[in-house]
Amino acid sequence: MKRKVLSAVLASAMIAATLAGCGSAADTAGSASEQGQSEAGAASTEAASTEAGGEEAAADGEAITLKWAIWDKDITPYWVALKDAYEETHSNVTIEMTDLGSTDYMTVLATELSGSGSDFDVVTIKDVPGYATLVSKNTLEPLDSYIETAGIDLSQYGGVDEQITVDGSLYELPFRNDFWVLFYNKDIFDNAGVDYPTNDMTFEEYDALARQVADPTFGSQVYGTHYHTWRSAVQLFGVLDGQHSILDGNYDFFKPYYELVLKEEDDQICRNYADLSAEGLHYSAAFSGGDVAMMNMGSWFISTMISSLQSGEYDSSLCGNWGIVKYPHAEGVEPGSTLGTITGLAVTSVSDQKQAAFDFVNWVSGEEGAKVMAETGNFPALMNDEVADIIAGLDGFPTDEASKEALSVSNLYLEVPYAENVSEINDILDTYHKSIMNREMTVDEGIAKMNEEVGKVLGQ
Amino acid sequence: MKQTQQKKFRSARKRAIAGKTGIYLILIVITAMMIVPFLWMLSASIKSNREVFVMDPFVWIPEVPKWDNYIKIWTKIPLLKFVQNTVFLTIVVTFLQLLTSSFAAYSFAKLEFKHKNGLFLAYIATIAMPWQVYMVPQFIMMRGMGLNDRLLAMICLQAFSAFGVFLMKQFYEGIPGELCEAARIDGMSEYRIYSSIMLPLSKPALSTLTIFTFVNTWNDYLGPLIYLKTESKKTIQLGLKMFIGQYSSEYGLIMAGSVVSLIPVIIVFLCLQKYFVEGVASTGLKG
Amino acid sequence: MDEKKASRAARAEQLAAQCSDLMVQIRAEKDIKKKQKLIAKRETLHRKETALRNNRKISREARRDLVAYSFIAPNFIGFAVFTLIPIVFAFLLAFMDWDGSNAITFVGLNNFKKLPGDTFFTAALKNTLIYCVGTVPLTMIASLALAIVLNQKIRARGFFRTVAFFPYVASLVAITAVWSMIFHPSKGPVNYILLNLFKVPQSDLPKWFSGGLVLVTLILFSVWKYMGYYMVIYLAGLQGISAELYEAGSLDGANTWQKFRYITWPQLRSTTFFVVVMLTINCFKVYDIAVMLAGGGDGKLSTSATVLVYYIYQNAFNYWDLGYASAVAMVLFVLVLAITMIQFGYEKKLEA
Repeated sequence: MKRKVLSAVLASAMIAATLAGCGSAADTAGSASEQGQSEAGAASTEAASTEAGGEEAAADGEAITLKWAIWDKDITPYWVALKDAYEETHSNVTIEMTDLGSTDYMTVLATELSGSGSDFDVVTIKDVPGYATLVSKNTLEPLDSYIETAGIDLSQYGGVDEQITVDGSLYELPFRNDFWVLFYNKDIFDNAGVDYPTNDMTFEEYDALARQVADPTFGSQVYGTHYHTWRSAVQLFGVLDGQHSILDGNYDFFKPYYELVLKEEDDQICRNYADLSAEGLHYSAAFSGGDVAMMNMGSWFISTMISSLQSGEYDSSLCGNWGIVKYPHAEGVEPGSTLGTITGLAVTSVSDQKQAAFDFVNWVSGEEGAKVMAETGNFPALMNDEVADIIAGLDGFPTDEASKEALSVSNLYLEVPYAENVSEINDILDTYHKSIMNREMTVDEGIAKMNEEVGKVLGQ
Repeated sequence: MKQTQQKKFRSARKRAIAGKTGIYLILIVITAMMIVPFLWMLSASIKSNREVFVMDPFVWIPEVPKWDNYIKIWTKIPLLKFVQNTVFLTIVVTFLQLLTSSFAAYSFAKLEFKHKNGLFLAYIATIAMPWQVYMVPQFIMMRGMGLNDRLLAMICLQAFSAFGVFLMKQFYEGIPGELCEAARIDGMSEYRIYSSIMLPLSKPALSTLTIFTFVNTWNDYLGPLIYLKTESKKTIQLGLKMFIGQYSSEYGLIMAGSVVSLIPVIIVFLCLQKYFVEGVASTGLKG
Repeated sequence: MDEKKASRAARAEQLAAQCSDLMVQIRAEKDIKKKQKLIAKRETLHRKETALRNNRKISREARRDLVAYSFIAPNFIGFAVFTLIPIVFAFLLAFMDWDGSNAITFVGLNNFKKLPGDTFFTAALKNTLIYCVGTVPLTMIASLALAIVLNQKIRARGFFRTVAFFPYVASLVAITAVWSMIFHPSKGPVNYILLNLFKVPQSDLPKWFSGGLVLVTLILFSVWKYMGYYMVIYLAGLQGISAELYEAGSLDGANTWQKFRYITWPQLRSTTFFVVVMLTINCFKVYDIAVMLAGGGDGKLSTSATVLVYYIYQNAFNYWDLGYASAVAMVLFVLVLAITMIQFGYEKKLEA
């Protein structure tokens, strides 16, 4: 009798399992046919729009609602600005935003999109590992044909597009491009009587400057510099020369930079990694606390600084007098070389209004979107002098010349370019970064482990 | 003779007193260890960020208590929404859990039917199976049912545990069968017997199960982390974790949020705790 | 319903009457062949009759079953759909390769073959085992000791019991936030006391959340948090021991230790078994404690603190390698099962 029950349960479970399997297969089939349909539909709307001439043509079309996945709507000013600006010029389109939160955004998005019930048309792509996952899961629509019909010149992205091309196809268009700069607190330098950092510093000069300005006196401690707990804060120094990349599989070039940072920790020039990690200190809290002289961070922090100082969230007597300079560089490397992170928009493969979705993506990543981004203090992927002027002219942006000049980038490398296993590689580097910084391993041991583990992934 | 006896008695009493003092000492040390983190939490929740780590001199209550931490916390994150979600979830799950498990347990304990052993075995076998073993396929299945990012998913997940059935069954088996037999002879239906005889008797077991379910649902982290994605659906644990991530150095606020998240569970626990040990004893949880 | 029953009974009576009629005929019949025919006819009729009567009996049983099932159904349906099916699915998935979107492929034992060479898996396994070996006995001893003390007739017993149970009730996120402040490597009061009272040099101050120490912190935290819960179970067990046993012990001049050794401990055997099994199961599924205490700002665990469930989560929801995640989960399950079986066998042996 028991056996009977058991077999019944097993059987039902098997059925459920196969059903689930079939379900997903059916889904993909379904979306494929949908795809065909919508392409046909798209072609006709396109034809209509070319006939009427100009973008405004779509205004006559039927009402369209696009569902858009974003994060942190309340504290990120540009989502709403982009939506409003687009809806203004495209009166038939309504953009509906869904806030998935910034913590684990890409994980959440991957879950959403692999479900059958997803109804997103446009999704924001926060990082490359997440992008790789979504592409491999066939959840994003290849944009090549759309790009071709719309006649977009990809060279305007300065080669960044090549670093996110998957097997010859592009699945996202970048609309935001942040790069790493060095933030510094002018008051601290003034008080110490030390010259400000410059746009042309080698790592040796940077290290010396940090040591000069630091003050270990207990109670009024000043840190010469600050490294956030991300691996990028240390490892990216090594990739600046353009000859190495995060995907290399051999990471010996990290060594001098780990040694530099660990030495600074030992001499109390910067906060201790173990402490930072224990309290999970946010970099913004570290810099706005007024006891950090320099901090390397992405350009997204510029708009945070401006708006948080204006709203009174940050105490302007502690960090109100700030500036930025270009990233320090290794001997013999052109100053202004830096690492970038792109944020892109993609069209989902399940969307039933792909052309309309692509139009929106194209608009946001194009010149008009770029202007909106710049006006909110963010760096669009379409960076040119005009955009740099808009940002440097923002109320609250440091007024010195060096800060403005820091915005011009000579070489931009992606922090994490696309590779099939980039997600795993990223995690491996994260793990051993932690081990090295927590002093669980020596620098050599940690790097050896990175080489070994990434080697395994690449060898697969 | 009498004197030595008295002496013996006195020394025994002395020893007893010494023993008692020792016990109290140990107890006080343990209690301190148990409660100091909570006091620290309360104390830090009314301090400014600078005061939290000031050790010399350490004060429990700062000169100017920052009560507004408790006001600010509601505006910094949608704490109210988180609390509402969690309260809703916890109440529904606890209610369903109590109802369905006591219902099923009655059947297992007091009725004879086909496949009884087989069915109960299915329950028992899964008690030893950590949820984490099957959380992934469970998630895939739930997502297929369109339950991803819905509070309903959390309800389905937590309301039908094998543990509840097991616990209630153990308790009902301790209630003499004659009680039910007599009622049956009087012509009462099984449903009446359950509702008017068994249920009123099972207060201790129900209280125990309430505390367990309430605490588990209220404090669950991994479940909501997997299932609840949109901010407006998050529970207080996720919300608090998110807040800690965003405002890592706002120690006072973090602690104020933590205090708020503790209050409901502690209230439930204090209300039901008088039945608690009795409940654990009678549900055979002791093994 | 009753009508049906009545008609069925009437039909049965009719059949019985026919049977007895036939019986008379059979007795009267002389021809063997005809007699045999009649006997056969009577048999079938009789069978029909008993079937009818039995049928009524079965239907009563069926009704009884139906009532019982109606009690079980609400819970069992939910349980079967949301627990049993996923469990079976989990077993199957361990032999598959699936990313949640594309087609599933069967890969046999490949997922399991990958395990031994996976540094992160072996680290997770090792850490989980160390954590369990540390936590299970410590929690058991601490909770038993506390239960014995709190079972005495002492003042404010209720208060002490409540306080001991507090950490169990408290939410993990809140309480780990407090712990990471109290044990903060450079600012926390614990290290402050070590520095100033015990004169530990600053460079030697323990870094509670990293390196080899992190597992110790996790174990300490777990003992602290779950001690009260198991204490209540032990309390319940202690209350089941009859006072007469202790009186007899006193008369024999047994001291406190002897009473514990020869009365309390053996009497609590089944409680201890239950506690150890529950503790083991709960220890193996550790995840949130590790992520919250050792995860730092981004909630990522390095090889010194990673645990099995973290690795399952990572593989499932970050890499979308669902088959591999399930394979790791199977290892977790087999471990828990094996340890539970060993304890079960040991308990049986003691009983015999």
